[in-house]
Amino acid sequence: MRPLTPAKILSICAALAAVLFVEVVVSLQIGAYHMGARDIVVTLYQGALGHWDAMPGEFKSVIFGLRLPRIALGILVGAALSTAGAGFQALLRNPLADPYVLGVSSGAALGTIISLIVTPHAPGAMQGAAFVGAFATVAVVYFLGRRGGQLDSATLLLAGIVAASFLSAVIMFLMTTISGRDLRGMAFWLMGDLQSDPRIDLRWLYFLLIVAIGCIFTTSSDLNLMLTGEQEARHLGVNVNRVKLVVYICASLLTGLAVSVSGAIGYVGLLVPHVMRMLFGTDYRLLIPTSAIGGAIAIVLADTLARTVVAPSELPVGAMTALAGAPVFIYLMRRRMR
Amino acid sequence: MGMILASRVQLKLLSAAMVALITCVMPTFARVGDIFNSRQSAAGPQDSRKATSQADTKIVTDGTGRSVAIPIHVQRVVSLAPNLTETVYALGLEDKLVGDTTYCDTPAAAKEKPHIGAPLTPSLEAIVALHPDLVLATAINRWETVEAITKLGIPVYTVEPHTVRDMLQSISSLADVMGAHEQGVALVAKLQGTLDNLQTGLRDKPLVHVLFVVWEDPLITIGQNTFIADALRWSGAESVIISKQDWPQISMEEVLRLEPDYIVLTSNHSGTDDTDQVRDLRARGVWNQIEAVKLGRIVVVGEEVTRPAPGLVEVIVQLAHGLHPEIFGTEQKHSRLENRGWESDAGRLVACVR
Repeated sequence: MRPLTPAKILSICAALAAVLFVEVVVSLQIGAYHMGARDIVVTLYQGALGHWDAMPGEFKSVIFGLRLPRIALGILVGAALSTAGAGFQALLRNPLADPYVLGVSSGAALGTIISLIVTPHAPGAMQGAAFVGAFATVAVVYFLGRRGGQLDSATLLLAGIVAASFLSAVIMFLMTTISGRDLRGMAFWLMGDLQSDPRIDLRWLYFLLIVAIGCIFTTSSDLNLMLTGEQEARHLGVNVNRVKLVVYICASLLTGLAVSVSGAIGYVGLLVPHVMRMLFGTDYRLLIPTSAIGGAIAIVLADTLARTVVAPSELPVGAMTALAGAPVFIYLMRRRMR
Repeated sequence: MGMILASRVQLKLLSAAMVALITCVMPTFARVGDIFNSRQSAAGPQDSRKATSQADTKIVTDGTGRSVAIPIHVQRVVSLAPNLTETVYALGLEDKLVGDTTYCDTPAAAKEKPHIGAPLTPSLEAIVALHPDLVLATAINRWETVEAITKLGIPVYTVEPHTVRDMLQSISSLADVMGAHEQGVALVAKLQGTLDNLQTGLRDKPLVHVLFVVWEDPLITIGQNTFIADALRWSGAESVIISKQDWPQISMEEVLRLEPDYIVLTSNHSGTDDTDQVRDLRARGVWNQIEAVKLGRIVVVGEEVTRPAPGLVEVIVQLAHGLHPEIFGTEQKHSRLENRGWESDAGRLVACVR
């Protein structure tokens, strides 16, 4: 095993960040409203300097009101979901684990819907409820997934699938009680949608995102050891229970964060960590940060496609990730089997 | 293994470095949140500047009770739904319509306008690109869309007609908002006249019990609070299904039990003839058990019935003719069809098989 130096981790992350940056620049230029590259650069520059009155109102609307917020939200959601996916995969030692499959996304969605019914306008209520929903689902699935005191991987996945379909049924039930207009918005949001207003300052969400990813990252050498088995890791001096608790809480927080602003977007949490493993190996010290940036790249790409392929209409980004994600996943699976 | 454990110290440093790095990058995107917040406060001076350059604005209350500041002289309007587009054309204000949705097909000329996407999934950028000074929305649009457009500084006027009377009311309010009060009064008077004539004809007649089929398989019908239910009442009919849900799914057993006098279908736009549609229905096993189907009491109405727009009145008249053949002769029906002017061929009553 070649040593993994911080310099190597940083350089790979910097390379991925550069890819993300290029993608953001390209994505900023694509849209129904035509703006030349020069206009975009000038508008961005004026925005950065705070010269709001110097730029045309429509440029300001398009760049700072529509495109940048969407990209910022996409980066947040992508990073959160794929890091949560990588975390769940490590904990459960199961390559199929992801927030969607384990029912965590559905739990977060249910929490958000309940908060929308009970307190429609309280800021942060959606996020809080989504986190509670995600964490409660993880706790129940974890409890159901145990067999004879040990976590059984197959039982756990089954428990997750059962929880997901049960929670979806509850969501369907609640949705029939909601009036027509809210229902349509909700149905869209469930498919995964980056257009809706998060109703909370993005900086709070970014702050939580970084804290949660940072916490998971600090456990990554322990996660490496736990890949060989919990018992073995325990013998090597890893405080397994503490690591599990940290990762469960952080992964639930990340899922709740993502679902509360964008609905349930599937496949990202499953796919991105796998792609990163194939590219950079299974070391979690590298996998956690690359998954975060890779997830951001994937969602920004998916959303850019979602708002261009059927222009002038838009697809929900969740439909786009499933459309692109499922074939890629099957391809990766077949290639691995060969 | 020793190497991995040793590197845990490095790892702590690295995670600190990562957090520091991302915190540096963060403000770039976090500014967006700032801008959103500052937009609200900055909207004041900016709007007033806009207001002075664009003469004056007036504050009106729209159909959802929101106060909207709209220009007194509206010049460029984007419609977010087919019924709004149809109303704008019916008022003769199509010159002010600069964009509509991909679903706007009535009248045919509406298809030629620049499209901003589907009513549920419009592209906000495409709307901005058309430089509208007013956007019209209705019940089929999402709240999120209305909120997002408002946030971009474009006024959105929403109408939400739930009954035929609401629909007439919405025509005059849309006319007023677009500065065409007289056209609105004239159109509403004309439509009201048609409805009044119909009510004179239907006076003292018992309501016909119908099953309105929204979708055949699974069988979906209308609830009591939809404007289609109201339109049925205007045409001297009543849905056999009483439901608080807007689009309830029901079982065939229930239909057999309730024994509707007539089955009302909406014509699908897939190009098949409406008589084919009726034949398809009769070919299905269970449907044949229904008395109304056995007797051929099936009425097919145009898709206009699903749109709270001026064309709805025409459909109500045609529905009344189809459901009350003992009152209205078929002659009158055909003469009406020719006098429709701006309406498309979609609002026709095509098959009344018996």
